[in-house]
Amino acid sequence: MRAEPAPAWPFARELRAPLPESTDVLIIGGGLAGTALAYYLARAGVECVLVERAELNREASGTNAGSFHFQIALHQLTALETGNVRERLQTEVRLHAEAAEVWKTLERELAGSLEIHITGGLMVAETPDEFRLLHEKRELEEEAGLETHVLEGEELRAFAPYLADDLLGATWCPDEGHANPMLAAPLFAARAAEAGAELRTHAEVTRVEVDPDGGARRFAVTTAAVRVHAHRVVNATGAWANEVCGLVGLRLPIRAEGLHLNVTEPRERVLEPMVQHIGRRLTLKQATNGTFIIGGGWPANPEPAPARFSTTWESTAGNVAVAVRVLPLLADVKIVRTWSGVMAFTADLAPLVGESARLPGFHTLIATTGFTLSPLLAQLLAEELATGRGTIPPQYSIDRDPAGQPTTT
Amino acid sequence: MTDATYDLLIVGGGPAGLAAAAEAVSAGLAVCLVDERPTFGGQIFKQPGPGFRVTDPAAVGREYVRGRELIDAAERAGALLLPRTSALAIRGTTVVLVEDGANARTVEARQVLIAPGAHDRPVVFPGWTLPGVLTAGGAQTLVKTQRVLPGERIVFAGSGPLALAFPAQLRGYGANVELVLEAGPAPGVRDVLRLLAAARGNTSLLRDAVGYRARLLRDRVPLRYRRIVVRAEGEGRVEEVVHASVDTAWRPIPGTEERVAADTLCVGYGFFPSVELLRLAGCDFVYDEDLGGPVVVRDEWLRTTVPNVSAAGDGTGVAGSYVAIDEGRLAALGAALDLEALTADAAVARAAPLRRRLARKEAFRRALRRMYAVGPGIYELATPETVVCRCEEITAGTLDAASEGTDDVNVVKSLTRAGMGLCQGRNCQRQIAATLALRHGGSLGSLPVATARPPVRPVPIGAVADASLEDGGFFTVES
Repeated sequence: MRAEPAPAWPFARELRAPLPESTDVLIIGGGLAGTALAYYLARAGVECVLVERAELNREASGTNAGSFHFQIALHQLTALETGNVRERLQTEVRLHAEAAEVWKTLERELAGSLEIHITGGLMVAETPDEFRLLHEKRELEEEAGLETHVLEGEELRAFAPYLADDLLGATWCPDEGHANPMLAAPLFAARAAEAGAELRTHAEVTRVEVDPDGGARRFAVTTAAVRVHAHRVVNATGAWANEVCGLVGLRLPIRAEGLHLNVTEPRERVLEPMVQHIGRRLTLKQATNGTFIIGGGWPANPEPAPARFSTTWESTAGNVAVAVRVLPLLADVKIVRTWSGVMAFTADLAPLVGESARLPGFHTLIATTGFTLSPLLAQLLAEELATGRGTIPPQYSIDRDPAGQPTTT
Repeated sequence: MTDATYDLLIVGGGPAGLAAAAEAVSAGLAVCLVDERPTFGGQIFKQPGPGFRVTDPAAVGREYVRGRELIDAAERAGALLLPRTSALAIRGTTVVLVEDGANARTVEARQVLIAPGAHDRPVVFPGWTLPGVLTAGGAQTLVKTQRVLPGERIVFAGSGPLALAFPAQLRGYGANVELVLEAGPAPGVRDVLRLLAAARGNTSLLRDAVGYRARLLRDRVPLRYRRIVVRAEGEGRVEEVVHASVDTAWRPIPGTEERVAADTLCVGYGFFPSVELLRLAGCDFVYDEDLGGPVVVRDEWLRTTVPNVSAAGDGTGVAGSYVAIDEGRLAALGAALDLEALTADAAVARAAPLRRRLARKEAFRRALRRMYAVGPGIYELATPETVVCRCEEITAGTLDAASEGTDDVNVVKSLTRAGMGLCQGRNCQRQIAATLALRHGGSLGSLPVATARPPVRPVPIGAVADASLEDGGFFTVES
């Protein structure tokens, strides 16, 4: 029998305790972004309370595929043609490189297993056009400081003999890998609670009142029928951010989409790196327990209330077709489950992080490539909240217009 | 992509599905019936596996004969019967089917009847994962399809009608049954009177029960009431079964433990309806622990709350083969009525005798239920070291720690991986829900269940991959 981690969540006993009357920072949303922010704030000595309307880690943070996406992705590349985005892409790649550093040390930092495997990542190309794009991408990444290599022919087959042998090439990024999304936010939450943050579940925010002259009691947030006064508020509710923003008259350029994921039965370990496709929707990896996790952004169906996404057969059959095209040994591996995660999409696919100039004290923390970037962005926002100085890229401004351009340019 | 269209697609080739197929064809419908097994008949009428040829049907048993008759009737009627074919997904009346070894295909039907049957209620106790411990259904499959006895010294622990029927059947095959443990009480005078009062029109059921009891008495198989298995012990496989007396809630009474040597422990504490496809279809459910848990909501023609989808048999609440057959016929008539293959008058007339029989069986079943209600003690046998989710090897202690701050089975699943394995949660989910209910004071029926997702059965990727499908394309950047 394999050794089994016994998760002990002593903080869980406090999750339904009464809420404090006031706090410095009130974080709304108990996903990876919110729990990571609570951790970094508490560790910096900033008083904070996190409220979650249902259970921790139940939405995008706990239901994504757990991949670290550092290479420039297909959707970002197609935008290359449309205009002046080269610089922005480079900023993003630089951020990805920083995020890679955060993940490398996170298990030590949080003193617990997140099943992090820095396995490297391959992005494969099937067609000559895709192969050309691999080279363009590698140049951009090199300029921004992210290490990638283009592999082709015998070199690729020797490096990754499990891949279909007619693929034209792949970029290799040694920093990529994956973690277990079901562990990350809970561990952040546990360590945040140990460091003094207060976390509460089943506390839905129903009202936010603003008193511009209120100082440390600037915001009065009604949650679970209790009013909590806060100096500052952080909206970390991901795809549902506009529900909270609506309470203070703000609107973000954001929408929710359901993404489809598949998991197989466990098999002997054959696939070390994470695998993506530069031209088709695919992420593929073999998790610690031997199962293959297949995703990449196939759609799930929005259902009427309660807001959920159901998985469709079309996405199942289409997604695994790309997977087995790239990794032929999957053909006789059984698919066991599908599930859906929700993703916050912004019009320009860039995060929304920082304070609103329209409503001082009101912040958002929404990373659109959420799993990869949330710990880093939480660190950056915590630094800004703790010291008043920050290094958050200006194009992530939450006041930028819905077309996606920063309002300052 | 749609490969075929049927008036009525029936999923499940047990008593309900087979009876429905014959009835629906006779009402003029084009019918396709699929079953994941290589032979039809379902669990109760399971036929000998491929390669067996039956020369003396009577010697094989009455259940074989009853099943054979239903299969022959469906075949003679002209229904298309597809064995080794599973339903993987359903949306509306579009169903994804896969035949073993072939590629998945999508079929359209004007009506779908889901008759999935039931599976054994898994009971978690220390030692339940030892080799030699098996469910009654598993043992039945060995005997019926392969003519193999599960062991040489068999202890049966269970409750309900099966606790009589199954050991008696095993005896009939020549098995050495050491001991039968029935969790419920010995039938009292009032129970017998109640059964007799309900017995009008159910003589076959009563006759079966009396026959089973007589068999055990004749063969001197000890049958002990109000006792359950509390653990199985052994090095590498079961060698001893520990059992104890229980109170009315099925909680073991201290000081009543006894041991019996055995190489096989068959566990049969009733059944759970196999509701996966019904849940995926989006049907509404109510909860009834005595019927096996979630029970799909149906109207007088056995239509579910999803348009053009009906349900029949043990998958809608465990009630046995006689009820299943009549329900199958009734659902077929309902489908024919909705497709205007039958007039309302004709459908009502043909349904009348079925409804009369079903009403009588309902009274009988209620009387049985009173005797065989499952006690909550059945969910409390695990110790912290006991593996609850056997696919992912998650112990009761781990689950207990994970349920500290939540009563949501989805959260516990996410924290521990329990229920994420190859059995898709069929074995452990109810135990986890019960753990949560006991801890947080909820009732089993009040807890949220894990979300239903396709595929309903694990299936090789090569069989489902469809390269012609395009992705949704919502990653585009707006400019």
